[in-house]
Amino acid sequence: MSEIVLENLGKTFGDFTALADMNLTIANGEFMALLGPSGCGKSTTMNMIAGMLRPSTGAIRFNGRDIVDVPMAKRGVGFVFQNYAIFTHMSVRENLAYGPRAQGVAAAEITKRVQAFAELLQLETMLDRPAAGLSVNILQRLAIGRSAILEPAIFLLDEPLSNVDAAFRAVMRSELKSLQGQFGQTMVYVTHDQLEAMTMADRIAVMDHGKLLQVGTPLEIYNNPADAFVARFIGAPGMNILEGTLTRHADTVSAEVAGLGSVTLSPAMQGAAALQAAREVQIGFRPEQINAADQGLTMQVTFVERIGARTIVHMEQGASLAKAVLPADVPPPVAGDAWTFAVPDDAIRLFDPVTGRALGGRTH
Amino acid sequence: MTNASTMEPVAERPAASASTGAGLGLWLTLPAQLLVLFIALFPILMQVYISLTDWSPLDGIPWWRAHELWIGLLNYTDLMADSRFWGALWRTMFVMAVCVPVQFLLGLGLAVLFVDDFHGKRVLYSTLLVPMMVVPAVAGYMFFMLFQSGGPVNDLLSLFTSDPVRIAWLSDPDLALIAVMVADIWQWTPLMFLILLAGMISVPQDQQMAAILLGASWWRRFFTIVLPRMKSIIIIALAIRVIEIFKIFDTLFIMTGGGPGVATETISVYIYKVTQQELIWSYVAAIALAILIVLSVVSVFAIKRMQRGQGT
Repeated sequence: MSEIVLENLGKTFGDFTALADMNLTIANGEFMALLGPSGCGKSTTMNMIAGMLRPSTGAIRFNGRDIVDVPMAKRGVGFVFQNYAIFTHMSVRENLAYGPRAQGVAAAEITKRVQAFAELLQLETMLDRPAAGLSVNILQRLAIGRSAILEPAIFLLDEPLSNVDAAFRAVMRSELKSLQGQFGQTMVYVTHDQLEAMTMADRIAVMDHGKLLQVGTPLEIYNNPADAFVARFIGAPGMNILEGTLTRHADTVSAEVAGLGSVTLSPAMQGAAALQAAREVQIGFRPEQINAADQGLTMQVTFVERIGARTIVHMEQGASLAKAVLPADVPPPVAGDAWTFAVPDDAIRLFDPVTGRALGGRTH
Repeated sequence: MTNASTMEPVAERPAASASTGAGLGLWLTLPAQLLVLFIALFPILMQVYISLTDWSPLDGIPWWRAHELWIGLLNYTDLMADSRFWGALWRTMFVMAVCVPVQFLLGLGLAVLFVDDFHGKRVLYSTLLVPMMVVPAVAGYMFFMLFQSGGPVNDLLSLFTSDPVRIAWLSDPDLALIAVMVADIWQWTPLMFLILLAGMISVPQDQQMAAILLGASWWRRFFTIVLPRMKSIIIIALAIRVIEIFKIFDTLFIMTGGGPGVATETISVYIYKVTQQELIWSYVAAIALAILIVLSVVSVFAIKRMQRGQGT
């Protein structure tokens, strides 16, 4: 087991900055997801941890030791590739034994270890089968087993579920999570799928354009996004962000969205709002937290998606777009109508329209 | 054979078309298939027929009346006892046994060098492929000139000795075959290199990366990942060169004419001489047929191996 510390880590390719000033501490035994859209620098970060890429700036420490100059074979890192990179011209047994053989482990010891891992991963019945043509969940187990047999302190997984169809992903997710429980290693998991990150990770590091935007537990990130990008990226659908202005009343502060109406801020938010000199803000709220109401914000309903347990209402007003997620038992508005909804004051988040950063007032 | 179902016309009743459609497809493609069969089979059958006679174009009777000169298996029994034929066959095999491994190892070595990027790779790459594009007759004259006793090869060797080297490469029965093999290796290593490089590039990068992360050395990766994954393409490359060297003729004939004596007489040269100088056409047909059988067996073996390689 191992603690990973990334210190001011950066990587440039010519003029292009793939990653800048990344500071992140991944605790011993933690399952950390690096989450972001493609091109955000998450794979670059992981490849530097693995040693496939050399950082342009900064340091990577495993348990306090800088490993930038340690070759990748010596870092004690297990890597699970996007397509698993199973040696399909070998049998399952040869795949498992590949690492120990390469490291010169004695034959008797290899046999013992392969047997132990095959039992752990429930692969013992297929040890002598060719690895080509195995189903994808077995390939995943084999890929993890092939690395785990060397007892690496750190496991890196590069979008391992992206080639799996949606129905099977849930199975793979739970299997992966339970494997991590068994091995107890530090795991770094790269993904662009927020659902994978939310369901499996202890903590999530959200990245965009080579920058780390927020690190936190899935619920922290969901409830209190530190950034408008994070707010939009997390959740399905993501958080609604509307342009608005703050108005100060006798003892409350409200945020007004041009042409839509206004929402009142919670006392906790008012302090943060007071700091916003410009009065221009971005108002964020989760689609799930919208309720139909007599007064609040009014928008035109463009279309309604019924997806069983929930109904997604798409709305538009001028340049503003928003979505609402309603439980299936709530009668949804009709497309084409104007619809008025309210947002509870503790569900409102404010963001700086220039920097995109959240404006104070963390409410738990 | 053509897959009849893919040729099947759109039927009105899909359920009923399965049986009648296949039959119809067969009938529709029959003329084309017969034509192909005729083109492939006719020369072989003609060869079998002629090889059982004593016919030659100088006999004054057309080939289809060759049965008037029927001699049965005499050509084949002659062939069994023909020491010049066996000598030529053995020599061809020897050239093959030397040239194919040398070309393979050189090609593989070059492919290893060229699979990674380096400065000036493109220019060097194009240069290395030039020999393959030289017309074999030109290559023949080039090496004929190079291996003259006062030629550049001896000049080059003279740099390492005190006395000027004057080896008569092409007229020494022991050395002529070496010169011929050098020419073949020069001309055809690039083809081997090209095929093997294509195969090496297609070995998945992530598998090699996975092997590195598991602690495998370069040699271990090369022998456990790269080479096994290149198996099919290696078999293709070797098969191409084996078949081509079996037919080795043009460059060699220009360099030595098969001589001195029979020192560089390969199967093709021998056949050429029997046809052109001794005009025993029916005997040539027997030789050609024997060679065809040998080559077919080799090819079938190679293809079987290849299919097995892809299966795993």
